[in-house]
Amino acid sequence: MTGPVVYDPQTLPADDNVDAYTFCVALDGQWFLQKGKMIAYYGEITFDGVGHGRLDRLVAGSFHSPLHAADWVVAEGRGRMLLADRAFDVNSFDLEDGNLTIRSGNLLAFQPGLSLKQSIIPGFLTLIGTGKFVAASNGPVVFVEPPIRVDPQALVGWADCPSPCHHYDHGYLRGVLGGVRALTGIGGASGEEHQFEFTGAGQVLLQSTEQLLDERATGGVPGEPGVPGGGHRAGPSGAPGTPGGPQSPGGLGGLQRRFGL
Amino acid sequence: MAQFRLQGSKVLAVDLAGESVKARNGAMIAYDGRMDFKKLTGGGEGLRGMVTRRLTGEQMEMMEVRGEGTCWFADRATEINLVPLRGEKLHVEASNLLAADAGLRTGTVFTGLRGASQGNGLFTTVVEGTGQAAITSDGPAVVLRVAPGHPLRVDPGAYVAHTGKLRQELQTGVTFRTVIGEGSGEAFQIRFEGEGLVWVQPSERNTVGGQL
Repeated sequence: MTGPVVYDPQTLPADDNVDAYTFCVALDGQWFLQKGKMIAYYGEITFDGVGHGRLDRLVAGSFHSPLHAADWVVAEGRGRMLLADRAFDVNSFDLEDGNLTIRSGNLLAFQPGLSLKQSIIPGFLTLIGTGKFVAASNGPVVFVEPPIRVDPQALVGWADCPSPCHHYDHGYLRGVLGGVRALTGIGGASGEEHQFEFTGAGQVLLQSTEQLLDERATGGVPGEPGVPGGGHRAGPSGAPGTPGGPQSPGGLGGLQRRFGL
Repeated sequence: MAQFRLQGSKVLAVDLAGESVKARNGAMIAYDGRMDFKKLTGGGEGLRGMVTRRLTGEQMEMMEVRGEGTCWFADRATEINLVPLRGEKLHVEASNLLAADAGLRTGTVFTGLRGASQGNGLFTTVVEGTGQAAITSDGPAVVLRVAPGHPLRVDPGAYVAHTGKLRQELQTGVTFRTVIGEGSGEAFQIRFEGEGLVWVQPSERNTVGGQL
């Protein structure tokens, strides 16, 4: 009868993974955590919601947006702190004077050296600066370099490269038959007609399943013209009669407009 | 004595040669050889235990498996942790106890407010004696040692089990900010002091305190 591996404050790793699902922070100062991701700690640590009293300045320094600060907690003190998220894989990454954009539900914690901003892509957050952060993913994370096209559900985030654009499988969707296929699924659809396309130099982070983590609210954006997701629709796409959103090539939308249907 | 071994991390195999083990009702997934399954009314704790469990809500449906061969157990693909006991007491939630050597005694004990904060009721299950027990956790559990001078705080939603001589108390960080909705999400913690081991799982159950 051999016992399990037992950890104590001396044998717990410093700023490293205990196993694939648990991360240990050697805290001496401050870290930012998403609410409810701490599972245990040794030492003297206090947890405070961001955005009041003496922590108000942190919002200005690290969050740049008071709108989504309510989901974050400051851990302050000295000790070893264990983080985990719904038994998903967790990994830590180092940024050195860089930037990284990540799906909001995947980010668990980060050092105050980094500042957190809303990405202009809805549902994503951007970290800028130098420091360490911890992210959760469904299955281990794979790093790939652009140019690459990735499945939307497998994307966790990207670092240093330009934001992606949508890519549709043209050969497949071209023509009337292709349009019928895309709209109805008759004739078979592989489910892989749409990807995100990355170009430029940098790194793309992928998870090994297509199951998404729950999204976290990233906060609203100011309702101004020119702000994506700001609630203002500009141009003719907002005209009555035509539903908004992208139109697939070969679709009937253009015909409908042309014949006044 | 029945031999417990893990096959992978989510299936428990028990080799039996005429002895018996206690296991959660319905946890058997396969067996090889000749096995008898008998439902243990009241978890094999007798009439008094049965009444206690009914009164406390710490329900535990157990069966006794006796025979010769190998029996495999699993529960909804959760991770299984083996706990060897040499006379110590293992405190575990009834919902996390998968199997135990037949030589181990089980019972219920009052936990006070801590239990309520975990959403598990005011009582917990105690396993005592010499032999092996298997407990389940959502994700592989991390075992943390508590020693004098090194108290440990655990999120109630992540707590699975503990052994040893530990004092536990519920610690709250509820302030006026919690009331106005700017809480830290870590308002309740269990503080363990003394000497022993604590099993913590890498995910959190939904608890009353979890949202504060």
